[in-house]
Amino acid sequence: MSRILLLLPTRTWRAEAFLAAARRLGLEITVATDKPLVWTGRVPEGVIVLDFACAERAAEQAAEFAREHPIAAVVGADDDTVVLAGAIAKALGLPHDPIAALEAARDKRVQRERLLAAGLPVPRFTRFRLDEDPAAVAARVGLPCVIKPLRLAASRGVMRADDVTSLGAAMRRLGALLASPDVDASGECRHEALAETFLPGAEVALEGLLEDGALRVLALFDKPDPLDGPYFEETIYVTPSRVAPETQARIAKIVTRAAAALGLTRGPIHAELRVNVWGPWILELAARPIGGLCSRALRFEGGVTLEELVLRGALGLNTAGTTREADASGVMMVPIPGAGVVERVEGVADAGRVPGIEQVVITAHAGERLVPFPEGSRYPGFIFARGEDPAAVEAALRAAHGRLRFVLAPEADAATSGAR
Amino acid sequence: MDPEIKIKALPIDEQRCRFTVDRPLLPGRAAYFGDAARAAGSPLAEALFALPDVASVTVAGDVVTVTRGGYGEWPDLARKVGMAIRAQLQSGAPPIAEAALEGMPGEDEIGARVQQLLEREINPAVGSHGGWVELLGVQGNDVFLQLGGGCQGCGMADVTLKQGIETLLRQEIPELGQVFDQTDHAAGRNPYYTASKK
Repeated sequence: MSRILLLLPTRTWRAEAFLAAARRLGLEITVATDKPLVWTGRVPEGVIVLDFACAERAAEQAAEFAREHPIAAVVGADDDTVVLAGAIAKALGLPHDPIAALEAARDKRVQRERLLAAGLPVPRFTRFRLDEDPAAVAARVGLPCVIKPLRLAASRGVMRADDVTSLGAAMRRLGALLASPDVDASGECRHEALAETFLPGAEVALEGLLEDGALRVLALFDKPDPLDGPYFEETIYVTPSRVAPETQARIAKIVTRAAAALGLTRGPIHAELRVNVWGPWILELAARPIGGLCSRALRFEGGVTLEELVLRGALGLNTAGTTREADASGVMMVPIPGAGVVERVEGVADAGRVPGIEQVVITAHAGERLVPFPEGSRYPGFIFARGEDPAAVEAALRAAHGRLRFVLAPEADAATSGAR
Repeated sequence: MDPEIKIKALPIDEQRCRFTVDRPLLPGRAAYFGDAARAAGSPLAEALFALPDVASVTVAGDVVTVTRGGYGEWPDLARKVGMAIRAQLQSGAPPIAEAALEGMPGEDEIGARVQQLLEREINPAVGSHGGWVELLGVQGNDVFLQLGGGCQGCGMADVTLKQGIETLLRQEIPELGQVFDQTDHAAGRNPYYTASKK
């Protein structure tokens, strides 16, 4: 039986989906985490802890483990672990993409430079120091612009500025966020960021698998809610896309060229693009599958999941011919209803009764502190829907969300308020 | 063949498939056969081991779980398993020999052994992260658990369950069927690890 080393940060959403996929495929899994779990050491082949902060040390630890428990593939479940997974695979002599390619995909500035050099359509951008004169930054990219941290995920810290005054305020706010203790930013990532020209238009996300550099599009999601700022909290993803077929073909072509420009040839990718009258513009490409619980919105022939495809691909098994189910499907990342402490969430069962809704998952627990964007990034829940067409799915998601009511207590006192 | 006998096949993974029959095969009891030699004298188990690639068989209540030795698609083998189960039921003979049931744990015994492991090893371990695990019940050889404290809503709860608790239970109770987590994780107030990355 093949053993996969699965890298799961202790803050990931991805454990359940990957473990279920491994089980369905009959694979042995060893979970590697950044912090000890209760079974670390007690079930030595089941859970190990690696030094996620030091790829070299983690590779040594993994190699030591692999001497007794041979490993067939290494899989990083999310942004934080893909570079580490590549480094470990390299140390074990397993197939992997170049570490430089994985690092480039992880760093927004390096990625942009590579994409621009390859002649791909990207917004005008500049790297800047957070203590720089906002007018100088605005002069390089124009206004309105968007500033974003070099590494944070889930649109955390991403802000739009329409004038120099609001740009200065956004830069100070981003600086404070990057200095906060719950953000693991160091070096240039702490003191520098990326600014880019704001591009109007609709946003789409492409989910794909690379095999020997060839892109297989697994799904193209529309994001029907406008993402015009001032913050960029994501909400609804719906597939299949309602974008014109010729534009979809151009999107796939751009993503294929972007992966090649970065040096990526294998494994899952998640790309985000804007589409406007000038065509598709690539914003980001990550060498990982879609995040959060969103992969539940994807189901392939025979009930195969995205994680099964990722694991099969990692083992070099054939994944060709697996197409997405015929139904339209979608997910809503439930918007953060406001700042406060969750007392309870009402209307969950009612939301689940909306026709087309498959699942309402509330991930925020009672007593949890909710932090709105741009400082926050933890969605309090996910809603999943399926239907005959994308419009029906989108309507079901909005209707279900309309039935949810988060009862929050302000952090300072016990007074309650309802928020949707 | 009796067309009225309905069997639902549900592959658990590429190696295990669960067949739920619309009538009991072994009411209130469970039998585990780790190889063909142990199946001798039990007609259903013998018939299943006669099929290619069958590595182990568990019969519990109205459920037959078949584990195969290699990998492959289930439909062909599942059809043959279904035929063997139907043939056995139509014969009217007991599917499992009484002798084979000697020493096989019933629901009560499986429950007691799980409880013992919870008290002796599992709860002291998860207690170090402020958690606990409770046995809700046993059906056939399937076990239903509920996690609490730091395990309830923890981002690593599934790793704890599948990579730790279930591994340990299977080492100690090879006859074990499936392990189900019945926890309402959204209601957890103090999870040890909270998922937050996109």
